[in-house]
This record gives sequence, structure tokens and C-alpha cells, in this order.
Amino acid sequence: MIKILDDLGSALVFLNDIIKTIFKTPPDSKSVSEQIYNVTTQSLTTTVSSGFFVGAILSVQFNAQLKQFDTLSVLGGLSTSGTIRELGPLLIAFMLSGKVGAYTSAELGTMRVTEQIDAMRCLGTNPMQYLIAPRFVGIIISSFFLLLAGLLMSILGGAILATVVADMNMVEYINSIPTYVKWSSVYSGLFKCFMFSLLIATICTYKGYATTGGSKGVGRSVVATALSTMVGLTLLDWFTSFLVENLFKAWGL
Amino acid sequence: MSLEIVGLKKSFGTKVVLNKISFGLKKGEILFILGRSGTGKSVLLKNIVGLLKPDDGQIILDEKEISKLSEKEYFPIRKRCGMVFQQPALFDSLTIYENLAFGMRKHFPKLSEQEYRARAEKYLQMVHLENVEEKLPQQLSFGMQKRASLARTIAIEPEYLLYDEPTTGLDPVTTTAINQLIQQLSRQLNVTSVVVSHDMKCALDIADRIIVLSEGAIVAEGTPSQLKTSEVPLVKEFLKEVLEGGSQ
Repeated sequence: MIKILDDLGSALVFLNDIIKTIFKTPPDSKSVSEQIYNVTTQSLTTTVSSGFFVGAILSVQFNAQLKQFDTLSVLGGLSTSGTIRELGPLLIAFMLSGKVGAYTSAELGTMRVTEQIDAMRCLGTNPMQYLIAPRFVGIIISSFFLLLAGLLMSILGGAILATVVADMNMVEYINSIPTYVKWSSVYSGLFKCFMFSLLIATICTYKGYATTGGSKGVGRSVVATALSTMVGLTLLDWFTSFLVENLFKAWGL
Repeated sequence: MSLEIVGLKKSFGTKVVLNKISFGLKKGEILFILGRSGTGKSVLLKNIVGLLKPDDGQIILDEKEISKLSEKEYFPIRKRCGMVFQQPALFDSLTIYENLAFGMRKHFPKLSEQEYRARAEKYLQMVHLENVEEKLPQQLSFGMQKRASLARTIAIEPEYLLYDEPTTGLDPVTTTAINQLIQQLSRQLNVTSVVVSHDMKCALDIADRIIVLSEGAIVAEGTPSQLKTSEVPLVKEFLKEVLEGGSQ
């Protein structure tokens, strides 16, 4: 337990250092663009395909339940609401963490154990500014848009499966969406996408940067990144759901 | 120009790695620090360049205590004290030229691209590497990577060169070449060199002075000829290995 708290504390200090570095010396747009390009090209296929199937799965599941009560007309609304508010961001973020998180953590970890990061400091460059800040910003921006792309695909996946499995008209399916999907659902989804992106970027850069112990250490960092991100995303999903629900209640949304 | 280490102490958890180490460096000399693995040799170098902070003691560069400086304040110190790492530590996404230009761009920002090129070529020639500027580190052999790494460090024109086990993992021929290079660069560039190594034979050949570390403390210190007659068991053991290696 002490070790977990110690690790959490170190990660928060690390996040604080990154934010300070970004505000003091913003990373140059070229390095950030490079990172956005790398992350997006690496993960676009995984994200949109998993997004499509998340929507499809929910559609199939809701179809089975709603059929019993003869209320198939609300399938589009229920399925899309569930996807946007809850399962979509979470499951797509899991996929993304496996790809982006593991890659970044392994890349930074290898640089650490082969003394490239120490060499960088000795040559007069701050690794937080040169290595971490562009990756951090790049991962947040690209993950956010990848999650959005995944969510849009999940709506499409849900709609297509509804026409195939439930013999539903696509127009009927789409017309039922606004009944259940209010702007609050969209804001909730967007907020979760941003928070999940922030979590993935923080954990993978922190775990990679703090790697010790040679090639075994890199392996350990990648595993720790995967594990911490999964657990972190689940806890954050609960927390953001709780926060968003209460805030919307308070604001009357 | 002087560098002095006074009562340096460093521990990791309960393990004391350096226990009140003190020594000084004379301008232009080649100092070898010998010792078995895990005796704190690399930790000592990392303390000097500020990659690690000592728990106690002082590092005095030109009469100024530097061990308490911040990362930003260490910038000019690291220009003066160049470190060659145990691993080549070349940035694997950059070409050899870009690796050399990396430090130069930070420390000589007013130079033109042609000047960076000319300097990179000059320093690569010094370490006997030619036509490798556009290659990536992984396209070179390990020995060539080590030399390119050395070229990258001397390209920022340091006054002190700190070598962390420069010949580890190299074959005997390349080891001899690197050792000759250390001596040649020291004389040619008039830099003060600190070499952390296990290699007593090389130390006897090229060092001006040798320090032997054991369990975080200095157990012997002197010129190569003084150490040859030392009665310290660890020194005798190192000398025995040299004799046995020579007779094989």
C-alpha cells in the first residue's frame, strides 16, 4: 500500500513538473506535430475498429433485452447513450492505452536504461522539455481525437448492427437517438475522453521516464504501464461519472 | 583550473556506495579510478556532473562548491565536464552528425550549420571515424558507436573528460585503440581526464595517477610505479591479473 501511494505521489510530482515545463518553455510545434502523427497513425485503425464493435456489442445486447418488452424503438437512444457516456470512452481508452501507453513507456524506458537521457542532460538539454513535454501534449491531443473518432464509429457500429440484428430501419434508429442522448451526455463523453487522455499520457511518460534496471526494467515498466493505466482508467471512469452526474444535477442539465 | 572532491558520501537506501571520498585533480593529468564492480566508481562520476546529488561532502570546481547547484545552474558545469558513458548512449533516432550537433547547438548557438558540420567532421576524424555522419547509430559496430559517443562529448570542448568504463564490452584490439585515444585526446586537447575502469593494465600504461576504490573508500592512491610496489591486497590482486593476462 505504501509503495502504491509512493508511486502515486511521484507520478503527481512528475505531472506537476511537466505542466510547469510546458508553461515555462512550451514544446515546439514541430515536435508536438510529430508525436500527434506517430500516435494517430499507430492507433487509428485499432481505435476506430474497436469503437465500431463497442457500439455493435451494445446494440446487440440492448436488442435482446428490449425485444422482451417490445420497446425496440428506443434501441438507438439507449445504445448510443450507453456508448457515449460510459462504455465507449472506457473500452476505447483501454485499447489506446495498450498501443500508445506501451509504446511510449518502452521507448522512454529504453532511452533511460541506455543512458540516452543522462547523456541528453550532460549535453545541456532538459529531457522534460525535449522528450517528455512534446510526447505528453501530443498524446493528449491525439488520444482525445482518437477517442472521439472511436465514439463516432461506435454510433455507426450500433446503427449498422441494429439494422442487421433487429431488422430496424436506420432512420428509425437515428431518430431515437436525441430522445436519450442529450447535450449532457455529449459533454460527459467529451470530458471523459479528455480525462482518459490525460491519464494515459501521464502514466506512460512517467513509467517510461522512471525506468531502472536494464532490459528487464523496460519490460517491468511496460507491464506496470499497462496495469496502472487499466486500473487508473476504471477508477477515473467511476470518479468522472460520479462528478459529472452531480455537477449536471447541480446545474439542472 | 581545479577540481576537488572533499568527503563525498552517497548511499542508496541502507547501502553506502561512497564513504567520504576525497581527492583532487591536477590540470591535464589522466587519473584512473579502479575498483571491482559495484564499488561506486560510476556513481562518483555521476555526482561530479550533477546527475546524482551527494548526501554529504563537497565538489569544488575552481574554488566554487557545485554539488548543491540546481539543474539550470549545472548547465555551464556540464559544458566544462564532459562525460562519456559506459554505453554509447547515442540518440538512436538521430544520425551521427545530428548526435554531434545536438550538444554543439546548445553550447555554441551562434555557429552556422556549415560550422557545425566542419566541427563534427573534425572531431569524428580525431576518433578515427570517417564517412559515418549520415549513418544511424545502429548501423555502426559497438566500438564505432563508443568512438562516436566520445566525439560527441569532445565536440562541446570540455576541460574535463570523465570516462565511465570506456572499454567495457570491447574486443582487445578496440580496447587498445580506445585507450590510446584517451591518451592522445588528453595531450592533444589539453583536457584533464578521469577514467573509471577495471583495466589495471591500461591504467599502468597511460595513467598519471591511479586511485583504487573498495567498498566506497579509497584503499590505494599513487602513480603507476608507486602502485606496482603496493602491499594493498586488492592492488596486488589487480597486478596479479595483469601479470597472468600478460603471460597467457
